[in-house]
Amino acid sequence: MASAIRPMLLRQTALSVATRRAATVPAFAFLSRTTPFQSTIAKDASRVAAFHASSRRSLLPPGPQIIKGTINDAVPVPDPKPTHGSYHWTFERLIAAGLIPLTVAPFAAGSLNPALDATLCALLLVHSHSGFQSIIIDYIPSRSYPGAYKTSMWLLNIATVLVGIGLYEFETNDVGVTEAVKRVWNA
Amino acid sequence: MAALRSSSSRLLAAASRSSAGPSMFVRSMASVGDATVNAVPKSSSSARNKTFQIYRWNPEEPNEKPKMQSYTLDLNKTGPMILDALVRIKNEVDPTLTFRRSCREGICGSCAMNINGQNTLACLCRIPTDTSADTKVYPLPHTYVVKDLVPDLTHFYKQYKSIQPYLQRDTPAPDGREYRQSKADRKKLDGLYECILCACCSTSCPSYWWNAEEYLGPAILLQSYRWIIDSRDERTEARKAALDNSMSLYRCHTILNCTRTCPKGLNPGLAIAEIKKEMAF
Repeated sequence: MASAIRPMLLRQTALSVATRRAATVPAFAFLSRTTPFQSTIAKDASRVAAFHASSRRSLLPPGPQIIKGTINDAVPVPDPKPTHGSYHWTFERLIAAGLIPLTVAPFAAGSLNPALDATLCALLLVHSHSGFQSIIIDYIPSRSYPGAYKTSMWLLNIATVLVGIGLYEFETNDVGVTEAVKRVWNA
Repeated sequence: MAALRSSSSRLLAAASRSSAGPSMFVRSMASVGDATVNAVPKSSSSARNKTFQIYRWNPEEPNEKPKMQSYTLDLNKTGPMILDALVRIKNEVDPTLTFRRSCREGICGSCAMNINGQNTLACLCRIPTDTSADTKVYPLPHTYVVKDLVPDLTHFYKQYKSIQPYLQRDTPAPDGREYRQSKADRKKLDGLYECILCACCSTSCPSYWWNAEEYLGPAILLQSYRWIIDSRDERTEARKAALDNSMSLYRCHTILNCTRTCPKGLNPGLAIAEIKKEMAF
Protein backbone atom coordinates (compact mmCIF):
# COMPACT_ATOMS: atom_id res chain seq x y z
CA MET A 1 0.00 0.00 0.00
CA ALA A 2 2.80 2.35 0.92
CA SER A 3 4.41 1.73 -2.42
CA ALA A 4 1.17 2.62 -4.15
CA ILE A 5 1.10 6.14 -2.72
CA ARG A 6 4.83 6.69 -2.83
CA PRO A 7 5.24 8.66 -6.07
CA MET A 8 2.57 11.15 -5.03
CA LEU A 9 4.14 11.62 -1.61
CA LEU A 10 7.57 11.88 -3.16
CA ARG A 11 6.54 14.69 -5.43
CA GLN A 12 5.01 16.62 -2.53
CA THR A 13 8.05 16.00 -0.41
CA ALA A 14 10.37 17.21 -3.07
CA LEU A 15 8.40 20.42 -3.32
CA SER A 16 8.28 21.03 0.43
CA VAL A 17 12.00 20.35 0.79
CA ALA A 18 12.72 22.86 -1.94
CA THR A 19 10.70 25.62 -0.31
CA ARG A 20 12.13 24.88 3.13
CA ARG A 21 15.64 25.03 1.78
CA ALA A 22 15.00 28.34 0.06
CA ALA A 23 13.70 29.76 3.36
CA THR A 24 16.76 28.71 5.35
CA VAL A 25 19.33 30.23 3.04
CA PRO A 26 19.51 33.75 4.61
CA ALA A 27 19.91 32.30 8.11
CA PHE A 28 22.67 30.06 6.90
CA ALA A 29 24.44 32.97 5.23
CA PHE A 30 24.23 35.02 8.45
CA LEU A 31 25.57 32.26 10.68
CA SER A 32 28.57 31.52 8.55
CA ARG A 33 29.33 35.27 8.26
CA THR A 34 29.94 35.17 4.59
CA THR A 35 30.42 38.18 2.39
CA PRO A 36 27.39 39.32 0.38
CA PHE A 37 29.03 37.92 -2.72
CA GLN A 38 29.41 34.50 -1.14
CA SER A 39 25.89 34.53 0.19
CA THR A 40 24.55 35.17 -3.27
CA ILE A 41 26.59 32.25 -4.45
CA ALA A 42 25.10 30.18 -1.68
CA LYS A 43 21.66 31.40 -2.66
CA ASP A 44 22.25 30.59 -6.28
CA ALA A 45 23.68 27.20 -5.40
CA SER A 46 20.72 26.39 -3.23
CA ARG A 47 18.40 27.57 -5.95
CA VAL A 48 20.14 25.25 -8.37
CA ALA A 49 20.00 22.46 -5.84
CA ALA A 50 16.35 23.17 -5.19
CA PHE A 51 15.75 23.16 -8.92
CA HIS A 52 17.32 19.76 -9.21
CA ALA A 53 15.69 18.38 -6.08
CA SER A 54 12.23 19.58 -6.92
CA SER A 55 12.03 18.69 -10.58
CA ARG A 56 8.44 17.80 -11.30
CA ARG A 57 9.45 15.07 -13.73
CA SER A 58 6.46 15.88 -15.82
CA LEU A 59 8.02 13.93 -18.68
CA LEU A 60 6.31 10.53 -18.57
CA PRO A 61 6.09 10.25 -14.77
CA PRO A 62 5.64 6.73 -13.46
CA GLY A 63 2.13 6.55 -12.11
CA PRO A 64 1.19 5.02 -8.80
CA GLN A 65 1.33 1.26 -8.67
CA ILE A 66 -1.99 -0.21 -9.68
CA ILE A 67 -2.68 -3.83 -8.87
CA LYS A 68 -5.86 -4.97 -10.56
CA GLY A 69 -7.78 -7.55 -8.55
CA THR A 70 -6.37 -9.31 -5.54
CA ILE A 71 -2.77 -10.46 -5.37
CA ASN A 72 -3.99 -14.02 -6.02
CA ASP A 73 -5.65 -13.17 -9.34
CA ALA A 74 -3.64 -13.74 -12.49
CA VAL A 75 -3.08 -10.88 -14.89
CA PRO A 76 -5.86 -11.01 -17.54
CA VAL A 77 -4.83 -12.82 -20.73
CA PRO A 78 -5.65 -10.77 -23.84
CA ASP A 79 -7.66 -12.29 -26.70
CA PRO A 80 -5.52 -13.80 -29.45
CA LYS A 81 -4.99 -11.41 -32.36
CA PRO A 82 -2.57 -13.09 -34.78
CA THR A 83 -2.69 -10.12 -37.16
CA HIS A 84 -1.02 -8.07 -34.43
CA GLY A 85 0.95 -11.02 -33.10
CA SER A 86 2.45 -13.96 -34.92
CA TYR A 87 1.34 -13.02 -38.48
CA HIS A 88 2.63 -9.50 -37.98
CA TRP A 89 5.95 -10.76 -36.68
CA THR A 90 6.39 -13.26 -39.52
CA PHE A 91 5.51 -10.59 -42.09
CA GLU A 92 8.01 -8.19 -40.50
CA ARG A 93 10.81 -10.79 -40.59
CA LEU A 94 10.09 -11.76 -44.20
CA ILE A 95 10.31 -8.13 -45.27
CA ALA A 96 13.48 -7.56 -43.28
CA ALA A 97 15.08 -10.68 -44.76
CA GLY A 98 13.89 -9.76 -48.26
CA LEU A 99 15.53 -6.36 -48.01
CA ILE A 100 19.01 -7.85 -47.83
CA PRO A 101 19.16 -9.44 -51.30
CA LEU A 102 17.25 -6.50 -52.79
CA THR A 103 19.85 -4.09 -51.41
CA VAL A 104 22.82 -6.15 -52.53
CA ALA A 105 21.51 -7.29 -55.93
CA PRO A 106 21.87 -4.06 -57.96
CA PHE A 107 25.43 -3.56 -56.76
CA ALA A 108 26.39 -7.19 -57.23
CA ALA A 109 24.84 -7.39 -60.70
CA GLY A 110 26.15 -3.97 -61.70
CA SER A 111 22.97 -3.20 -63.59
CA LEU A 112 19.74 -1.56 -62.58
CA ASN A 113 16.27 -3.02 -62.89
CA PRO A 114 13.47 -0.49 -62.31
CA ALA A 115 11.06 -3.15 -61.07
CA LEU A 116 13.61 -4.37 -58.55
CA ASP A 117 14.25 -0.80 -57.48
CA ALA A 118 10.54 -0.18 -56.99
CA THR A 119 10.22 -3.34 -54.90
CA LEU A 120 13.13 -2.23 -52.75
CA CYS A 121 11.46 1.14 -52.21
CA ALA A 122 8.12 -0.40 -51.27
CA LEU A 123 9.67 -2.88 -48.85
CA LEU A 124 11.82 -0.19 -47.26
CA LEU A 125 8.72 1.89 -46.73
CA VAL A 126 6.74 -0.95 -45.13
CA HIS A 127 9.77 -1.95 -43.07
CA SER A 128 10.27 1.51 -41.61
CA HIS A 129 6.52 1.94 -41.13
CA SER A 130 6.28 -1.16 -38.95
CA GLY A 131 9.47 -0.13 -37.16
CA PHE A 132 8.01 3.25 -36.27
CA GLN A 133 4.76 1.60 -35.24
CA SER A 134 6.73 -0.52 -32.82
CA ILE A 135 8.42 2.57 -31.38
CA ILE A 136 5.05 4.26 -30.84
CA ILE A 137 3.59 1.17 -29.16
CA ASP A 138 6.63 1.01 -26.88
CA TYR A 139 7.00 4.63 -25.87
CA ILE A 140 3.47 6.05 -26.16
CA PRO A 141 1.44 3.21 -24.69
CA SER A 142 -2.23 3.46 -25.56
CA ARG A 143 -3.25 2.44 -22.05
CA SER A 144 -1.76 5.58 -20.49
CA TYR A 145 -1.77 8.06 -23.41
CA PRO A 146 -4.65 7.02 -25.66
CA GLY A 147 -4.89 10.45 -27.33
CA ALA A 148 -1.20 10.84 -28.03
CA TYR A 149 -1.06 7.25 -29.22
CA LYS A 150 -3.81 7.76 -31.76
CA THR A 151 -2.36 11.08 -32.92
CA SER A 152 1.13 9.71 -33.48
CA MET A 153 -0.21 6.63 -35.26
CA TRP A 154 -2.10 8.89 -37.67
CA LEU A 155 0.90 11.17 -38.10
CA LEU A 156 2.92 8.08 -38.96
CA ASN A 157 0.31 6.93 -41.48
CA ILE A 158 0.27 10.34 -43.14
CA ALA A 159 4.07 10.44 -43.22
CA THR A 160 4.23 6.97 -44.75
CA VAL A 161 1.76 7.91 -47.47
CA LEU A 162 3.66 11.12 -48.21
CA VAL A 163 6.98 9.28 -48.40
CA GLY A 164 5.32 6.67 -50.59
CA ILE A 165 4.12 9.33 -53.03
CA GLY A 166 7.55 10.95 -52.94
CA LEU A 167 9.32 7.67 -53.68
CA TYR A 168 6.87 6.94 -56.49
CA GLU A 169 7.68 10.33 -58.04
CA PHE A 170 11.39 9.72 -57.51
CA GLU A 171 11.21 6.31 -59.14
CA THR A 172 9.11 7.36 -62.13
CA ASN A 173 10.40 10.86 -62.89
CA ASP A 174 13.96 10.69 -61.52
CA VAL A 175 16.85 8.24 -61.24
CA GLY A 176 15.49 6.02 -58.47
CA VAL A 177 16.83 5.08 -55.08
CA THR A 178 19.68 2.75 -56.01
CA GLU A 179 21.09 5.13 -58.60
CA ALA A 180 20.77 8.03 -56.14
CA VAL A 181 22.68 6.12 -53.48
CA LYS A 182 25.34 5.26 -56.05
CA ARG A 183 25.76 8.91 -57.06
CA VAL A 184 25.88 10.17 -53.48
CA TRP A 185 28.39 7.43 -52.67
CA ASN A 186 30.68 8.46 -55.51
CA ALA A 187 30.20 12.21 -55.07
CA MET B 1 31.20 -24.06 -9.38
CA ALA B 2 31.39 -20.61 -7.86
CA ALA B 3 29.71 -21.94 -4.76
CA LEU B 4 32.32 -24.66 -4.45
CA ARG B 5 35.10 -22.20 -4.78
CA SER B 6 33.69 -19.83 -2.21
CA SER B 7 33.15 -22.56 0.37
CA SER B 8 36.68 -23.83 -0.02
CA SER B 9 38.08 -20.34 0.32
CA ARG B 10 35.94 -19.83 3.38
CA LEU B 11 37.37 -23.00 4.90
CA LEU B 12 40.86 -21.77 4.21
CA ALA B 13 40.05 -18.42 5.72
CA ALA B 14 38.61 -20.07 8.80
CA ALA B 15 41.74 -22.18 9.18
CA SER B 16 44.05 -19.20 8.96
CA ARG B 17 41.90 -17.28 11.38
CA SER B 18 41.93 -20.05 13.99
CA SER B 19 45.70 -20.10 13.83
CA ALA B 20 45.72 -16.37 14.43
CA GLY B 21 43.78 -16.88 17.65
CA PRO B 22 41.83 -13.97 19.09
CA SER B 23 40.87 -12.59 15.69
CA MET B 24 38.30 -15.38 15.63
CA PHE B 25 36.12 -13.29 17.86
CA VAL B 26 36.19 -10.18 15.76
CA ARG B 27 33.20 -11.33 13.73
CA SER B 28 31.02 -11.89 16.79
CA MET B 29 27.90 -9.81 17.21
CA ALA B 30 28.58 -6.26 18.21
CA SER B 31 26.39 -3.22 18.06
CA VAL B 32 27.89 0.08 17.13
CA GLY B 33 26.31 2.77 19.24
CA ASP B 34 27.23 5.99 17.54
CA ALA B 35 25.89 7.19 14.23
CA THR B 36 29.03 6.63 12.21
CA VAL B 37 28.22 3.78 9.95
CA ASN B 38 31.28 1.64 9.89
CA ALA B 39 32.31 -1.53 11.61
CA VAL B 40 35.99 -0.90 11.19
CA PRO B 41 38.35 -0.73 14.14
CA LYS B 42 40.67 2.21 13.54
CA SER B 43 43.79 0.44 14.83
CA SER B 44 44.08 -2.46 12.38
CA SER B 45 46.72 -1.62 9.82
CA SER B 46 46.10 -4.42 7.35
CA ALA B 47 42.39 -3.69 7.14
CA ARG B 48 40.91 -3.68 3.67
CA ASN B 49 38.17 -1.14 4.15
CA LYS B 50 35.50 -1.15 1.51
CA THR B 51 32.64 1.28 1.30
CA PHE B 52 29.18 0.11 0.28
CA GLN B 53 26.64 2.66 -0.83
CA ILE B 54 23.19 1.26 -0.26
CA TYR B 55 19.83 2.63 -1.35
CA ARG B 56 17.64 3.48 1.62
CA TRP B 57 13.98 4.38 1.68
CA ASN B 58 11.68 3.95 4.60
CA PRO B 59 7.91 3.88 4.03
CA GLU B 60 7.42 4.88 7.67
CA GLU B 61 8.98 8.25 6.88
CA PRO B 62 7.40 9.19 3.58
CA ASN B 63 8.67 12.77 3.90
CA GLU B 64 12.26 11.59 3.51
CA LYS B 65 13.54 11.19 0.01
CA PRO B 66 15.28 7.95 -0.91
CA LYS B 67 19.00 8.29 -0.23
CA MET B 68 22.26 6.43 -0.57
CA GLN B 69 23.82 5.48 2.74
CA SER B 70 27.48 4.53 3.00
CA TYR B 71 28.76 1.72 5.16
CA THR B 72 32.41 0.79 5.50
CA LEU B 73 33.42 -2.75 6.30
CA ASP B 74 36.76 -4.48 6.66
CA LEU B 75 36.79 -7.10 3.92
CA ASN B 76 39.15 -9.28 5.99
CA LYS B 77 36.34 -9.85 8.45
CA THR B 78 33.54 -10.15 5.93
CA GLY B 79 32.46 -13.13 3.87
CA PRO B 80 33.23 -13.10 0.15
CA MET B 81 29.78 -12.30 -1.19
CA ILE B 82 27.75 -9.11 -1.24
CA LEU B 83 25.07 -10.86 0.81
CA ASP B 84 27.65 -11.53 3.53
CA ALA B 85 28.40 -7.83 3.60
CA LEU B 86 24.71 -6.92 3.78
CA VAL B 87 24.07 -9.42 6.57
CA ARG B 88 27.08 -8.10 8.44
CA ILE B 89 25.90 -4.52 8.06
CA LYS B 90 22.48 -5.51 9.35
CA ASN B 91 23.91 -7.48 12.26
CA GLU B 92 26.66 -5.18 13.37
CA VAL B 93 26.10 -1.70 12.05
CA ASP B 94 22.54 -0.84 11.13
CA PRO B 95 19.70 -3.22 12.00
CA THR B 96 17.22 -1.06 10.09
CA LEU B 97 18.70 -2.08 6.73
CA THR B 98 16.05 -4.15 4.97
CA PHE B 99 16.54 -6.76 2.25
CA ARG B 100 15.20 -10.17 1.30
CA ARG B 101 17.40 -13.20 1.63
CA SER B 102 16.85 -16.83 2.31
CA CYS B 103 19.02 -19.61 0.95
CA ARG B 104 22.34 -17.72 0.52
CA GLU B 105 23.28 -20.12 -2.31
CA GLY B 106 21.45 -18.82 -5.37
CA ILE B 107 18.50 -21.18 -5.36
CA CYS B 108 15.69 -19.09 -3.88
CA GLY B 109 16.05 -15.84 -5.80
CA SER B 110 15.14 -13.67 -2.83
CA CYS B 111 18.24 -11.48 -2.76
CA ALA B 112 17.97 -10.20 -6.33
CA MET B 113 19.17 -6.60 -6.43
CA ASN B 114 21.10 -4.19 -8.57
CA ILE B 115 24.77 -4.35 -7.59
CA ASN B 116 27.20 -2.00 -9.33
CA GLY B 117 24.72 -1.51 -12.13
CA GLN B 118 24.03 -5.18 -12.74
CA ASN B 119 20.97 -7.10 -11.63
CA THR B 120 22.16 -10.17 -9.81
CA LEU B 121 21.74 -12.25 -6.70
CA ALA B 122 23.64 -10.78 -3.77
CA CYS B 123 24.53 -14.28 -2.62
CA LEU B 124 26.19 -15.16 -5.94
CA CYS B 125 27.96 -11.83 -6.42
CA ARG B 126 31.45 -11.54 -5.07
CA ILE B 127 32.48 -8.33 -3.36
CA PRO B 128 34.88 -6.57 -5.75
CA THR B 129 38.22 -6.66 -3.98
CA ASP B 130 39.21 -3.24 -5.26
CA THR B 131 38.79 -1.20 -2.09
CA SER B 132 39.30 2.16 -3.78
CA ALA B 133 35.94 1.99 -5.55
CA ASP B 134 32.63 2.01 -3.71
CA THR B 135 30.11 -0.72 -4.37
CA LYS B 136 26.63 0.58 -5.03
CA VAL B 137 23.60 -1.50 -4.19
CA TYR B 138 20.12 -0.58 -5.41
CA PRO B 139 16.84 -2.47 -5.47
CA LEU B 140 15.84 -4.01 -8.81
CA PRO B 141 15.39 -1.16 -11.29
CA HIS B 142 11.94 0.10 -12.30
CA THR B 143 10.18 -1.69 -9.49
CA TYR B 144 7.97 -0.17 -6.82
CA VAL B 145 10.05 -0.29 -3.68
CA VAL B 146 8.50 -1.58 -0.48
CA LYS B 147 11.49 -0.65 1.68
CA ASP B 148 15.24 -0.22 1.11
CA LEU B 149 16.23 -3.12 -1.16
CA VAL B 150 12.86 -4.85 -1.18
CA PRO B 151 10.94 -4.46 -4.44
CA ASP B 152 7.24 -5.17 -4.86
CA LEU B 153 6.98 -8.18 -7.18
CA THR B 154 3.20 -8.60 -6.93
CA HIS B 155 2.62 -7.84 -10.60
CA PHE B 156 5.47 -10.16 -11.61
CA TYR B 157 3.89 -13.06 -9.75
CA LYS B 158 0.44 -12.25 -11.12
CA GLN B 159 1.92 -12.44 -14.60
CA TYR B 160 3.53 -15.75 -13.74
CA LYS B 161 0.16 -17.05 -12.66
CA SER B 162 -1.39 -15.95 -15.96
CA ILE B 163 0.71 -18.41 -17.98
CA GLN B 164 -0.65 -21.34 -15.96
CA PRO B 165 2.71 -22.75 -14.93
CA TYR B 166 1.63 -26.32 -14.33
CA LEU B 167 1.16 -29.51 -16.35
CA GLN B 168 -2.20 -29.65 -18.12
CA ARG B 169 -3.42 -32.90 -19.66
CA ASP B 170 -6.73 -34.30 -20.80
CA THR B 171 -5.67 -37.88 -21.47
CA PRO B 172 -4.46 -40.20 -18.75
CA ALA B 173 -1.04 -41.78 -18.98
CA PRO B 174 -0.96 -44.85 -21.30
CA ASP B 175 0.29 -47.18 -18.61
CA GLY B 176 -1.91 -45.58 -16.00
CA ARG B 177 1.04 -44.72 -13.82
CA GLU B 178 3.14 -41.69 -14.66
CA TYR B 179 3.61 -39.40 -17.65
CA ARG B 180 6.73 -40.72 -19.31
CA GLN B 181 9.08 -38.67 -21.41
CA SER B 182 11.90 -39.60 -23.76
CA LYS B 183 15.41 -38.53 -22.87
CA ALA B 184 15.43 -36.16 -25.83
CA ASP B 185 12.20 -34.53 -24.67
CA ARG B 186 13.52 -34.20 -21.15
CA LYS B 187 16.66 -32.59 -22.50
CA LYS B 188 14.59 -29.78 -24.01
CA LEU B 189 13.76 -28.61 -20.50
CA ASP B 190 17.39 -28.13 -19.54
CA GLY B 191 18.23 -24.46 -19.28
CA LEU B 192 14.58 -23.68 -18.58
CA TYR B 193 13.60 -25.53 -15.43
CA GLU B 194 16.53 -23.97 -13.54
CA CYS B 195 14.90 -20.54 -13.57
CA ILE B 196 14.23 -19.41 -10.02
CA LEU B 197 12.08 -16.38 -10.91
CA CYS B 198 14.36 -13.88 -9.22
CA ALA B 199 13.15 -11.19 -11.67
CA CYS B 200 16.70 -10.05 -12.48
CA CYS B 201 16.10 -10.46 -16.21
CA SER B 202 12.65 -8.91 -16.36
CA THR B 203 13.71 -5.83 -14.43
CA SER B 204 16.77 -5.38 -16.65
CA CYS B 205 14.65 -5.36 -19.82
CA PRO B 206 13.92 -1.85 -21.15
CA SER B 207 10.83 -3.15 -22.90
CA TYR B 208 9.58 -4.48 -19.57
CA TRP B 209 10.36 -1.13 -17.96
CA TRP B 210 8.11 0.69 -20.42
CA ASN B 211 5.33 -1.86 -20.74
CA ALA B 212 5.38 -4.06 -17.64
CA GLU B 213 1.58 -3.88 -17.39
CA GLU B 214 1.07 -5.82 -20.62
CA TYR B 215 4.40 -7.30 -21.71
CA LEU B 216 5.16 -10.47 -19.80
CA GLY B 217 8.93 -10.01 -19.63
CA PRO B 218 11.76 -12.51 -20.16
CA ALA B 219 11.38 -14.50 -16.95
CA ILE B 220 7.71 -15.25 -17.48
CA LEU B 221 8.22 -15.97 -21.19
CA LEU B 222 11.03 -18.39 -20.39
CA GLN B 223 8.67 -20.17 -18.01
CA SER B 224 5.97 -20.11 -20.65
CA TYR B 225 8.35 -21.74 -23.13
CA ARG B 226 9.21 -24.35 -20.53
CA TRP B 227 5.54 -25.47 -20.60
CA ILE B 228 5.10 -25.00 -24.35
CA ILE B 229 7.84 -27.47 -25.21
CA ASP B 230 7.10 -29.91 -22.42
CA SER B 231 6.16 -33.14 -24.27
CA ARG B 232 3.77 -34.13 -21.50
CA ASP B 233 1.70 -30.93 -21.67
CA GLU B 234 -1.36 -31.02 -23.94
CA ARG B 235 -2.36 -27.35 -23.93
CA THR B 236 0.45 -26.14 -26.17
CA GLU B 237 -1.89 -24.43 -28.63
CA ALA B 238 -3.83 -22.65 -25.90
CA ARG B 239 -0.55 -21.50 -24.37
CA LYS B 240 0.62 -20.12 -27.71
CA ALA B 241 -2.72 -18.44 -28.35
CA ALA B 242 -2.43 -16.64 -25.02
CA LEU B 243 0.78 -15.02 -26.25
CA ASP B 244 -0.50 -14.22 -29.74
CA ASN B 245 -1.11 -10.50 -29.45
CA SER B 246 1.01 -7.42 -29.87
CA MET B 247 1.88 -6.95 -26.20
CA SER B 248 2.40 -10.20 -24.28
CA LEU B 249 5.29 -11.60 -26.31
CA TYR B 250 6.12 -9.32 -29.21
CA ARG B 251 7.31 -6.37 -27.12
CA CYS B 252 10.60 -8.29 -26.97
CA HIS B 253 13.03 -6.56 -29.30
CA THR B 254 15.94 -8.91 -28.70
CA ILE B 255 17.79 -6.43 -26.51
CA LEU B 256 19.28 -9.43 -24.65
CA ASN B 257 19.82 -7.64 -21.34
CA CYS B 258 18.01 -10.63 -19.88
CA THR B 259 20.61 -13.13 -21.06
CA ARG B 260 23.46 -10.89 -20.02
CA THR B 261 22.20 -10.38 -16.50
CA CYS B 262 20.80 -13.83 -15.61
CA PRO B 263 22.63 -14.86 -12.40
CA LYS B 264 21.88 -18.51 -13.16
CA GLY B 265 23.47 -18.33 -16.59
CA LEU B 266 20.23 -19.10 -18.45
CA ASN B 267 19.20 -17.66 -21.80
CA PRO B 268 15.72 -16.11 -21.68
CA GLY B 269 16.42 -14.31 -24.97
CA LEU B 270 16.85 -17.66 -26.72
CA ALA B 271 13.67 -19.02 -25.15
CA ILE B 272 11.69 -16.01 -26.40
CA ALA B 273 13.19 -16.42 -29.87
CA GLU B 274 12.16 -20.09 -29.85
CA ILE B 275 8.59 -19.15 -28.92
CA LYS B 276 8.52 -16.64 -31.77
CA LYS B 277 9.82 -19.28 -34.16
CA GLU B 278 7.25 -21.81 -33.00
CA MET B 279 4.47 -19.30 -33.48
CA ALA B 280 5.58 -18.11 -36.91
CA PHE B 281 3.47 -19.38 -39.85
